[in-house]
Amino acid sequence: MTWYLGDLIPYMPLLLQGLWISIYISVLSFVFGSVLGLFAYLAKASRWRVLRGISGAYIEVVRNVPLLVVLYLIYFGLTQFGVNLDPLWSTLIALTINNGAYVAEILRAGFEAVPKGLREAAHALGMNSAQTFRYAILVPGIRNVFPAMTNQFILLFLFSSVASVIALPELTNQLLRVNSETLRTFEVFTVGALLYYVVSSVLAIGSRLGEKRLFRW
Amino acid sequence: MITVKDLHKSYGKLEVLKGISCEIDASQVVCVIGPSGSGKSTFLRCLNLLESITSGTVVINGHDLGDRKLNTSAVRQDVGMVFQQFNLFPHMKVLENIMIAPVKVAKKPKAVTREKALELLDKVGLASKADVYPSALSGGQQQRVAIARALAMDPTVMLFDEPTSALDPETVGDVLQVMKRLAEEGMTMVVVSHEMGFAREVADRVIFMDGGVIVEDGNPAEIFDNPKEARTQAFLSRVS
Repeated sequence: MTWYLGDLIPYMPLLLQGLWISIYISVLSFVFGSVLGLFAYLAKASRWRVLRGISGAYIEVVRNVPLLVVLYLIYFGLTQFGVNLDPLWSTLIALTINNGAYVAEILRAGFEAVPKGLREAAHALGMNSAQTFRYAILVPGIRNVFPAMTNQFILLFLFSSVASVIALPELTNQLLRVNSETLRTFEVFTVGALLYYVVSSVLAIGSRLGEKRLFRW
Repeated sequence: MITVKDLHKSYGKLEVLKGISCEIDASQVVCVIGPSGSGKSTFLRCLNLLESITSGTVVINGHDLGDRKLNTSAVRQDVGMVFQQFNLFPHMKVLENIMIAPVKVAKKPKAVTREKALELLDKVGLASKADVYPSALSGGQQQRVAIARALAMDPTVMLFDEPTSALDPETVGDVLQVMKRLAEEGMTMVVVSHEMGFAREVADRVIFMDGGVIVEDGNPAEIFDNPKEARTQAFLSRVS
């Protein structure tokens, strides 16, 4: 058999639809995960030991268990307790849990790296804690986390392909389907790889440009 | 203006200040010198509560720092501080750095503050730099902006924590010049510094600290030319 893309043309709308779902679940779970991550970070930085413990345990577990296993637990495992989540919700939950832990670590590293002198300078000018955070810490902190956060989004987008195993019709799942219908395996997955690659690189380039525009200091 | 009585400061078991007492009058310029680890920066930082006081009393311009109902922000607005590392807000332009505290903390109107900020910038010789970010300035320029930022709150006392130690030698002069002018205008100043020339020329009084206590306290001529204590003599012979 030789390289032939012609068989794939009728399936392109289907693949683009899959790509759209991949982007859609990535964006949603990135947003949810970032909120979760913010709370996990705040809990870990808090004064209360119980909160620190819960947050620390959450982060540890997520970082040491494969995403695929978490997804199986949510989609298949929970049915045992009468909880039947559809593939979309299962994926969103698994990706959100996963992303939240990494976001918490990114926020911690980024905000800890803000020089403590800025906090002292703000205090010395009479600012209270809220003003100190708002005017002295927030923007330098955002600058610190920005590259890692966009990188995390790209990873999440690539990881979202695991949803194919529970039959969520995202890009990889559609690739499997087109493959079984056309048997043009190499072509199908090359096109798929290309689609992932293009979206990821556009995001990476956009992030670098955005960084330059946002942080001129 | 400043009264310190038996000030102690400990970090856990480590006692850094072991009973500091001194009086500083209005318009006095006091230089605090001493070897590193002598507690001079800690002493300075206790004066605006960047460090909590373990025991003893500190009264600044009528604020008793040991008072439980003390308004910390009010004290700090009254006491300006300049740091070794400048600590300008990197994401704000020079003018914004100077305006942020008067506008957001003292709630002064923007237009008035802006005018005053520009005046202060002119005073520190950086009128042309209002619209640049701190990263575009040399260390000496950043430090002069930091002085202007502190002055924008109309403090009655200015604290300087080794203001020239992080600077390239050629930019030290401009900063000292600004500080000297401030002293001449009658600002009450406490300066932790290694600039013996500045201490000798500008200070009304020099305090030598070692091991968490004040070893010697007097006018610059006495301390530099005729130190009484052996530790002062030893320190001065090492630094000059």
